[in-house]
Amino acid sequence: MRRKARCAAVLALLAVLSSCSAGSTATVSQDESTLSVGFTAEPENFDFTSTDGAAIPQALLYNVYESLVKVDARGRIKPLLAKSWTVSRDRTVYDFQLRPDATFSNGAKFTARDVKFSIERAKTDWTISLKSKMDVVDRVEVLGPTHARVVLSRPSNSWLFDMASRVGAMFSRTGVADLANKPVGTGPYVVADRRRGDSIVLPENPNYWGRKPAYRTVVLKYIADPTALNNALLSNEIDVISQITAPDSVPQFEADNRFRVIQGTTSGEVVLAYNNAKPPLDDVRVRRALTMAIDRKALLDTAWAGRGELIGSMVPPTDPWFEDLSGAYPHDPARAKRLLASAGKQNMSLRLRIANLPYAMSAAQVIESELSEIGVRVTIEPLDFPAVWLKEVFTDHDYDMSIVQHVEARDIVTFGDPDFYWGYHNPRVARLLEQADSGPPSRQAGTMRRVARQITADAAANWLFLFPNVIAAKTKVTGLVPNQVSESFDLTGVKPAR
Amino acid sequence: MALAQRSRNASLLAGGTLVGLVVLAALVSFGWTPHDPLRVEATDRLLGPTGRYVFGTDRFGRDVASQLLVGARSTLYVGVVAVGLAALVGTPLGILAGMSRRWLGEFVMRANDLVLAFPALLLAIMFGAVFGAGTLTAMIAIGIATVPSFARIARSGTLQVMSTEYVLAARAAGRSPAFIARRHVLPNIAGLVIVQCSVSFAIAVLAEAALSFLGFGTRPPTPSWGRMLQESQELLAVEPRLALIPGIAIALAVLGFNLLGDGLRDRFDPRLEAYR
Repeated sequence: MRRKARCAAVLALLAVLSSCSAGSTATVSQDESTLSVGFTAEPENFDFTSTDGAAIPQALLYNVYESLVKVDARGRIKPLLAKSWTVSRDRTVYDFQLRPDATFSNGAKFTARDVKFSIERAKTDWTISLKSKMDVVDRVEVLGPTHARVVLSRPSNSWLFDMASRVGAMFSRTGVADLANKPVGTGPYVVADRRRGDSIVLPENPNYWGRKPAYRTVVLKYIADPTALNNALLSNEIDVISQITAPDSVPQFEADNRFRVIQGTTSGEVVLAYNNAKPPLDDVRVRRALTMAIDRKALLDTAWAGRGELIGSMVPPTDPWFEDLSGAYPHDPARAKRLLASAGKQNMSLRLRIANLPYAMSAAQVIESELSEIGVRVTIEPLDFPAVWLKEVFTDHDYDMSIVQHVEARDIVTFGDPDFYWGYHNPRVARLLEQADSGPPSRQAGTMRRVARQITADAAANWLFLFPNVIAAKTKVTGLVPNQVSESFDLTGVKPAR
Repeated sequence: MALAQRSRNASLLAGGTLVGLVVLAALVSFGWTPHDPLRVEATDRLLGPTGRYVFGTDRFGRDVASQLLVGARSTLYVGVVAVGLAALVGTPLGILAGMSRRWLGEFVMRANDLVLAFPALLLAIMFGAVFGAGTLTAMIAIGIATVPSFARIARSGTLQVMSTEYVLAARAAGRSPAFIARRHVLPNIAGLVIVQCSVSFAIAVLAEAALSFLGFGTRPPTPSWGRMLQESQELLAVEPRLALIPGIAIALAVLGFNLLGDGLRDRFDPRLEAYR
């Protein structure tokens, strides 16, 4: 029995120490032409036409699949498979001149027929909700092997930008038989091997039309635990952490001259969503009171170590219509209390049903503490992400408040959809969004600013902070894109330091 | 013999003291904590131990000492309910298996083996996935997983008691099985069950900590030692104190319950001295 007691004590101490060895310490010997990049979220499969989530385009877009245009780190549209394009005066006809030398990894030549095939396929065969971005396309005409014409049913200022996202990816007419396992694109890399739960190997595409990538092979390594991911870089298992999700651990990389920390911005707004369609949060006074009860600066400092940016609306600084609205609801618990009293909602109990992700778990505890000071009881319910959260919050709208990061570019348009999970319905916003998209481009930014101001005035949600893009990499790796404004972790410019 | 007696008392004393400290911490936390354990103070983030904060603050600026005191509640709560459930279900099952005819006893014990074959943590994670993670599901799952150990102990004790002369006499006098179980079996196996409670409590404490660490136990913001460990994970390189404090608390609590179980066993079953 005494031995048993000793064993138990040793086991308990091991429980303490187990957290010290969360990561693998295996060292992978790699030559200079191989780059290993660590990620936390692994793609379920390779088919982003039928599977939602950010992980697939993060790995494949611009690296394996290419689109006609791409978005650079500053959010500007640049040519990719289209050498150039013209837009008709009524802004409904786009003429694309394509690269003549691009080929798919299955050997097929990339032509205007593939453009027609890909865009029409997005309208007919895709199943994810993002396919609606192609609804505005009326038809695609093949005017020559390298000349494609896209005719829109109405002018759209956002369509070309959307073409730089996954919905604009170009597919081979002979390469879509097994998209979930065998992606066929025109990009600088091809998918060679996948070890589920571990890694994806991307060797260079020998027939790539553009500049050869500096690294002949890239290994995408998937390590779900943030601490284990950090340990992988420290122990030489990987060369780059694509995005650090343990912000308090950043100083250990900053203090170590073997590594470089790059901090940029993303298009990922961490949002405290209010269920606008359901009492008590259907009352604008309640939403405003909750918004002013939360000190977002303190929340950012505590929940995410001060890394990130306060934005105050659903617009990141890389969008042309960004306006800093973070001061719209200064932290004022006393005023919040009065506002709740005027709405007759002094003793509220709210369910905060969050994605069980580190940023949401941290932010929820700050919110619970701050709202308790104005007499609002908050019950935190972490839900398994994505499956349970998507089903219960996003689809069934069964929540009062929720926290999740919205990573899609220019997703402010979701406030024009009353069926979206935040249940926000303001016909003026829907009208302004419609005007911004189909009106003259010169007025787009101004109109979008009005949308941002309106949803902020309605406290349609509480934009806690803009998620930072914190990359840690060995100093020998350069060319990493600091701002994550597209859906891709763009490997095309990454190269070894000279 | 005197040395063995002292050693036995030492186990009991040390275990009792450690368990007493955990109970005391939990009881004190109902009436007093140095600070509000849930209050977030951005300006007091990651402070080291000072006069104001004995064990410093965590990354939310919350007082670690207050969290530790309130966390003892979660530990005891889960332990009491899980072990209580296991004892209340497992002991009668064990007595039933020990007293009944061969086929029923065999059936009960094989069903027990089936539950025993299922790892407790896996069962709790499965419960969390199906019914939603939380303290209640963790307690029930740990309780169910602990039932077989009580059933086995109770059955072996019952088999011994059933072969004694006073039980044979009671049966010859036409006493009902329920009477025999209540009057003769239960009092004679109570010591074994109490010892098992203490040992199972230690296992439950570890299981609760592990589940909270994995995100399947106590929900935030309720303080729990396992969750304190989990939240400190990414700060190991910067603030190892945040992992060490709840880790040591868990280790001491587990050691305490095991030593207490050890001491109680010696107290209830002096025959074991012969095996030392």
